Amino acid sequence: MSLFSALSVSASGMAAQRTRAELLTENLANAETTRTPEGGPYRRKDAVFVTTPSQSEFRSIFASHLDTKPQGVAVSEVVVDPRDPVMRYLPGHPDANPDGYVGFPRINPAEDMVDLMSTSRNYQANVSAISAVKDMIQKSLDILR
Amino acid sequence: MLDPLSSNLERYMDLLSARQKLVASNIANADTPGYKTRDIDFQAEFRNAMDARQPHIAQVSGLKTKNDGNNVNIDRESRLLAENDIRFSIATSLLRSRLKTLRSAIQEGRT
Repeated sequence: MSLFSALSVSASGMAAQRTRAELLTENLANAETTRTPEGGPYRRKDAVFVTTPSQSEFRSIFASHLDTKPQGVAVSEVVVDPRDPVMRYLPGHPDANPDGYVGFPRINPAEDMVDLMSTSRNYQANVSAISAVKDMIQKSLDILR
Repeated sequence: MLDPLSSNLERYMDLLSARQKLVASNIANADTPGYKTRDIDFQAEFRNAMDARQPHIAQVSGLKTKNDGNNVNIDRESRLLAENDIRFSIATSLLRSRLKTLRSAIQEGRT
């Protein structure tokens, strides 16, 4: 029963939260973007997480088939907001349609900020889990000192 | 290993590691839709750790489920994280003092 698989589980959590934080900051940065390579205004993105069996060195995968299976996390997909853009009347804008309306991304900065806070808090929780487990490993090494 | 007490301590530490792994995966999945908190009934598992080495993992009841079906409570998991760490450190100190006694006996009381 190795504690090292707990380290890789927490690391997978950190990676997933980092991906989500990147998407959320991208949303905030592009809150006013009206042109994208796909055409049209920017659309809000968010990450969906899924549990995965711990992906780490051979030993812990082998062990995970024998005893308590620790479950890591991974980003299963990046969802793009399908809602229509917000239309604002700006006749002078180069991206305005014939009626003078410009499509702006449907992004609520407050929503993204709140998600960003929860992401960073979860990231911190994963970091504390790593340091607690590391402490336990260190203590078991100290038994023989 | 050495004597009944030491083997009990060893089992205790094994169980604590198993629990810590579950806590780590609960924390990692704090944002996974549909994920349910998993834990072991520590005292019951410690009592039957003598014959069956595999702890039984169960879902935790009585936790608030969020809209996405996830019921991980980060505060509960942080508490368990700290608690397991402290218990583990007590167990390692006890085991260390057992080994120290043994070493002292081997060295016939000379240090």
